[in-house]
Amino acid sequence: MPLFGELELDAVAPALPRLRDLDTEAWEIPKAEIVQVAYEVADGTRTLLPRALHPAIPEYVTFLVTRYPESPVGPFDLAQLRLMARAGVHPRGYVLGAVASTDAAVAALRERWGYPVVRGEIAFRRYHDRVASTVRRGGETILDIAVVDPEVIAGGDLQYIHAVTLARVDGAAQLVQVDPHYTVHRAARGRAQVGRFDAAAWNAAAVRLTTPISASASTCDTDLPRIRFVMDPQIPVVSGTKKVR
Amino acid sequence: MKFGLFYELSVPRPWTRESERTVYENALEQVKLADELGFDQVWAVEHHFLEEYSHCPAPELFLTACAMVTTRIRVGFGIVVCVPQFNHPIKIAERTAVLDILSGGRVEVGTGRSATWTELAGFNADPDDTKKSWDEFVRCLPKMWTSDKYEFEGEFWSMPRRTILPKVYQRPHPPMWVAVTSPGTELDAADRGLGSLGLTFGQFAEQEKRIAEYRRRIQLCEPVGEFVNDQVSTVNFLYCHEDEATGLKTGRRMADYFNYLATQLISVRETYPSKSYPSLGLLPQLRRQATGPDSGEQAGEGLCLGGPERVTRALKRWESVGVDRVNFLVNTAEMIPQTEVLASLRLFGREVMPAFNGRKD
Repeated sequence: MPLFGELELDAVAPALPRLRDLDTEAWEIPKAEIVQVAYEVADGTRTLLPRALHPAIPEYVTFLVTRYPESPVGPFDLAQLRLMARAGVHPRGYVLGAVASTDAAVAALRERWGYPVVRGEIAFRRYHDRVASTVRRGGETILDIAVVDPEVIAGGDLQYIHAVTLARVDGAAQLVQVDPHYTVHRAARGRAQVGRFDAAAWNAAAVRLTTPISASASTCDTDLPRIRFVMDPQIPVVSGTKKVR
Repeated sequence: MKFGLFYELSVPRPWTRESERTVYENALEQVKLADELGFDQVWAVEHHFLEEYSHCPAPELFLTACAMVTTRIRVGFGIVVCVPQFNHPIKIAERTAVLDILSGGRVEVGTGRSATWTELAGFNADPDDTKKSWDEFVRCLPKMWTSDKYEFEGEFWSMPRRTILPKVYQRPHPPMWVAVTSPGTELDAADRGLGSLGLTFGQFAEQEKRIAEYRRRIQLCEPVGEFVNDQVSTVNFLYCHEDEATGLKTGRRMADYFNYLATQLISVRETYPSKSYPSLGLLPQLRRQATGPDSGEQAGEGLCLGGPERVTRALKRWESVGVDRVNFLVNTAEMIPQTEVLASLRLFGREVMPAFNGRKD
């Protein structure tokens, strides 16, 4: 049997976002801009991964920064650090930490989709040879990533892995699947560059970046969807998944 | 129709000093029996770093061992990775020739390029280049086997004029194949006059369409070798039991677990957007089979699981859509005891194989 995560749930339970309910309505979001950087990490991240999930082989993370130009709470940016994993046979990105650029977005993302999100400043910059994003909190840069020398690729070549958040639902910790749709209008792939990564600021002190994988930038229509599945974080998803709708 | 065995050599955790050895020894015992029963081929993959799923990085060694304990069964590379960081083409030519000699001319050479980030990054290979390097390699190999002296200057490798030794035992050279997982790769095989070594468990209708197009296309091919290998091979699971329900239940567990292990791997496309890997290939199909509507015990009519009649029926269907060879995975991570695997092979040999003898050779 593949390895499982080793997260001690009790240690993180008090700080988990609380979901209002599972009736979250979808937000359709046109013309979002996404920067994604994938990086292999050193062994040792299984202690961050819920026991329901399998670690990727090799272990890796993605930084996913999205600019939502319009939404029911106005425009906002969202940056996520995701530890890539498997929920049974499905690739998933377990969200270790997240930063959003407005208070309204922070509140909505926490109570509707269970993102462990805090307030910060997020910058997107397009240079002639790179697309860069910077995340700052408390006056400190906690993330600085770039897609270097981007080259146009087909939108169909991009694959965004669905996210899984860990939140309290009706008093119990649950993994919440967040599975947006993407219609890609423009896409580019480049080299991954991470200039600054403060792992502790992303609830991920055990994460140590080792080998760059890839980086991409895209413009797409997407959504923050209705919740379809929740999973018991302590048992394999094969037996611990509940279909919401 | 011809039958073969196909080995990933999966090793379940926890890994002990003996567990990998046991997997290899069991596989050799199965191959020896298959040889006696009249199976035609045994294939072994080349995979690296794929924990539990496949502990078979050196197929030439396993296949040599197979050849040494058998007399008739053919031994196939399923496949050799045609990426320079994995294998130098001279070494491929030499290794296959040595095995061809040792086996008395029983080698089949499957070619491919790897589809996982886990492996390609492990060798520091660029996913964008693998299709190109594969193309270069397959055009060189037959000439390296057959020319007195050989020289080459290409994009991925070069060599001055040398005599590559030894020469293959088969004349003009061993049959060549291409691993086919993604739709469209069978056309790459056809264009080059190579056999289609299917590594998916696709549905009948889809396979029939793809095979028909392969057959049409290969008529117009410009072969890279000295002859056209117009053959379609596919892979399947085999667990044959007198009791249909037992065969289905045990076989289904094996197939599901194989799919489960396979889906733990990181496909190139999951992490590295590239036009060189335009489709998700094998993995999403395995995910569907493990979790989708076809995952029930009664489903999967194309799988060779259950009693002899059901297995025969499935194989007749494959034969009717144009498949020439079926290669079987007979266990996954040792979840079926070796005695039962051997019993399944014997039952297949006794009850199923006679229904296909002499139909197509």
